[in-house]
Amino acid sequence: MKHRAVALPGSKQSAAYVVIVACALMLAACAPAPKAPAKLAFVVEAWRTAVYQTEYMEECPDGIAIGNDEIWFDSLSPAEKDKWTTGGTQQVLDLPRRPQSYLRGPQQEDVCWSPTAVVDPPMRVVRGRYSYGMNLDGTTDGSPTPKSCAHGKFTDPDGKVAVDNQLYRLMGCVYGYRDKGYLEHHANRERQDESQGIILIDVDGVDDARNDPAVQVRFFLSATPLYFDTAGHIVPFSTYETVRGRFGDTVKGRIVEGVLETDPADVTLPVYGNDAAADMVFRDFRIRMEIAQDGTRAKGLWAGYQTVESFWDYIQKVQHNVPVGQYSCPAMYVAAHDLADGYPDPKTGECTALSSAFEFEAAAAFIKLPSGSPSDEERLAKQLTMAGR
Amino acid sequence: MPASTARRLAMLVAAAAFCIAACAPKEPQVRGNRPQLRLLTEDQYRNIIQDVFGPQIAIGGALDPILREEDLVAVSAGRATVSASGFEKFATLGEGIARQVVDPANRDLLIPCRPRRADARDDACAAETLGRVGKLLYRRPLSGAELQRAVETAGAGAARVGDFFEGLTYGLSLLLVSPHFLFIADSLRDEVSPPALTGYAKAARLSFFLWNTTPDEALIDAATRGELDDRSGLEREAERLLKSPRLVNGVRALFSDMLQFEKFVGLSKDTEIYPAFDPQVAQDAREQLLRTITWHLLDQDEDYRRLFDTRVTFMSSALGRIYRVPVEDTVGWSRYEFPAGDMRAGIQTLAGFVALHSHPGRSSPTIRGRAVRELLLCQKVPDPPANTDFSKFNEPAATNLPARDRLKVHSTDATCAGCHRLTDPIGFALENFDGAGQPRTRDQGAAIDASGALDGTEFTDVRGLSGALSEHPSIPACLVQRVTSYALAGTGESFDMPWANYLAEVFRRDGYRLRPLLASIVGSPNFYAVELPVVQTAAAEESHR
Repeated sequence: MKHRAVALPGSKQSAAYVVIVACALMLAACAPAPKAPAKLAFVVEAWRTAVYQTEYMEECPDGIAIGNDEIWFDSLSPAEKDKWTTGGTQQVLDLPRRPQSYLRGPQQEDVCWSPTAVVDPPMRVVRGRYSYGMNLDGTTDGSPTPKSCAHGKFTDPDGKVAVDNQLYRLMGCVYGYRDKGYLEHHANRERQDESQGIILIDVDGVDDARNDPAVQVRFFLSATPLYFDTAGHIVPFSTYETVRGRFGDTVKGRIVEGVLETDPADVTLPVYGNDAAADMVFRDFRIRMEIAQDGTRAKGLWAGYQTVESFWDYIQKVQHNVPVGQYSCPAMYVAAHDLADGYPDPKTGECTALSSAFEFEAAAAFIKLPSGSPSDEERLAKQLTMAGR
Repeated sequence: MPASTARRLAMLVAAAAFCIAACAPKEPQVRGNRPQLRLLTEDQYRNIIQDVFGPQIAIGGALDPILREEDLVAVSAGRATVSASGFEKFATLGEGIARQVVDPANRDLLIPCRPRRADARDDACAAETLGRVGKLLYRRPLSGAELQRAVETAGAGAARVGDFFEGLTYGLSLLLVSPHFLFIADSLRDEVSPPALTGYAKAARLSFFLWNTTPDEALIDAATRGELDDRSGLEREAERLLKSPRLVNGVRALFSDMLQFEKFVGLSKDTEIYPAFDPQVAQDAREQLLRTITWHLLDQDEDYRRLFDTRVTFMSSALGRIYRVPVEDTVGWSRYEFPAGDMRAGIQTLAGFVALHSHPGRSSPTIRGRAVRELLLCQKVPDPPANTDFSKFNEPAATNLPARDRLKVHSTDATCAGCHRLTDPIGFALENFDGAGQPRTRDQGAAIDASGALDGTEFTDVRGLSGALSEHPSIPACLVQRVTSYALAGTGESFDMPWANYLAEVFRRDGYRLRPLLASIVGSPNFYAVELPVVQTAAAEESHR
């Protein structure tokens, strides 16, 4: 069978068609091939609760939070105080003394695991105006919305953006969470020294590393040891394997002038430090990350409503470090529920999550994603994580 | 087919075969090297200890390095001596090895007999142990006197301290510091003229060339039976060694020597400038080069010239940080192929090569160009004249310039230009790799111009250099020259050049593959040839007058 050429009416039109087709073909042939979407990836080198601080602690007019240890010590008789001090003047924060400060329920309950066993003086919280963070509820005055309870707003230090950060309000006057404090610093040291709880950020579908309107961002837990240079920084461009199944929430985002921002989504991140491992379960999680021009480093904030349940899970697990962190578990438990400003319980109307913000630094990396289907154990682990929400 | 046609065809085939045979290059006979005593290199020492006693024996400390006086350490080893402190190191290492051998954790495996009493001398067991070990260390069976001395040393020690195994350490230590172990001797057969190597010396030559270690028991036994004194026996053993997986050790040693990898020891970079470059990177960079070389030349049996434009290599986690690429295996090694069109193509673009030939804090087009000339093309680049004014490069303003601008004086100053036009245009093409071997597109803020030239071939970037190198006629010729010198531990300037030229033609004919080249060398009488030095007697000198 012969193929018939398709005849176009009129010779001029035929010629024009041929020219157009030829030009189109030439253009197609000469145009650069579309670049396959690439990946960006980062390993979080250090992160901490974003705490805005002034030199004279104007944000904590009531003073630094009172700790378990102080409350316990004040309750002792003079003779007992002598027993736990050196020469009657210097308090000894040694290991035998630590449990005394939290095993002070009526039946010697651990007041971090049983925070309602005793009633402590109210938590000293932040009463300042400024905070790092993001506007999570979209309001400027903290009035209630379907997703939030009434609460006080902060302003970012530039004075431009209304910020929700009730976690800072709760923890900002806790010595262990401030600049020279022990808990956050120690947690980072442990994560780095032990390569545990290391968060990986995978940015997929990147056509342009500086400006891309649509990327997908996933968060993983690393299974690979960190590698540091002689200055103590993570060496960029290491390859990290991930712990399969447990993490990997995906969010949508964009890169604008080298700054990655994501849309709100539910995300669970690992937390490790102070000898405890837990999950940070966020609602309306989002991230803003500034990527260095050379692509080797990044820094930024992640923010979202952290469930009080997941927050408290970590706090009670680090109870042995509470004396050096200096806060009262019972007081903090009450305050955490009082300050919760996100995701009201449909039945009680009480909010179940704390608006929060965390600052972090990261180094460029490669992430080896898990291949194949997750095992039954991995699926179960994921389900348990989901159930934790 | 008619019989007449078949006959004609057969004659044609025969004629063609004759023609090919006649046209094939004829192998020249060389005079051979003078018999030598070659000091074991540290790698050879370590390989021998591992082969004789097993990998569980730790060899702590380092030996005195053999000073590289020629292009190859293998040549320098023939002139090396052992200093007093060097001997002390051999003694210390030897004693440490002996103690591990008799350690209760190892003795059941490494000592072939049990003494009748552990607290007394047992000459029979000592003789069995020392005889077996000594044969592998001396690369021949011990003579009766040698064995007797070792057994007596062990026995006297055992009697003195009341411990057979303690005494055995003395006997083993004696063997481990003996010159018969530490020096590879070209021993000659007594009864033949012209002079010829003994079977044991041939075995050692074969084994150290192909395996970089002592002959195994089978090879020593073949020598004992006289099988290495005739060509068929020699060919049989050579073929066995060539087919062994241990050939990779020999090839690694050859290229480590040719490419001067001893410089990796202590290679370090300014950690302020190159924080990712640490001792692990240096170690892995060397290993990457060796894995790339042996994979292509042995595992794939490829054309040697492909080493200079290949995109296939092997990657470790530490190197992934330098190359800024993901690695498949985060704890070991995995095969890695750079994408088509990548700047990394050929061993000269791998981090090990470019970092080794750089300054601690910056790259060096001159050093890199010189390394390509001298190590890969066997072309000698003269040292700078003694009166060179280096201040032109050391001014603070100059150090902040991109390399091409900083080195402009190399082409404008007539004193410098003569040599630097040989090196710098090669090195400029490698400027997309910084002093640690990491990729870069800018130097001191300026976009890198990686154009260059190699012997008339101009290129715009390193990919052009890879192509020019892989097609350069001196690339295969240089390898043959180095392998020949390495095989004979000779300088390559006099006695072996005709043979090297012949081997170069054979190498070309065989598709520039290393295995056939090695087979041609060990299958040739030239490999085993020796010549005694002419002794000028007084009478001869008188008659000469």
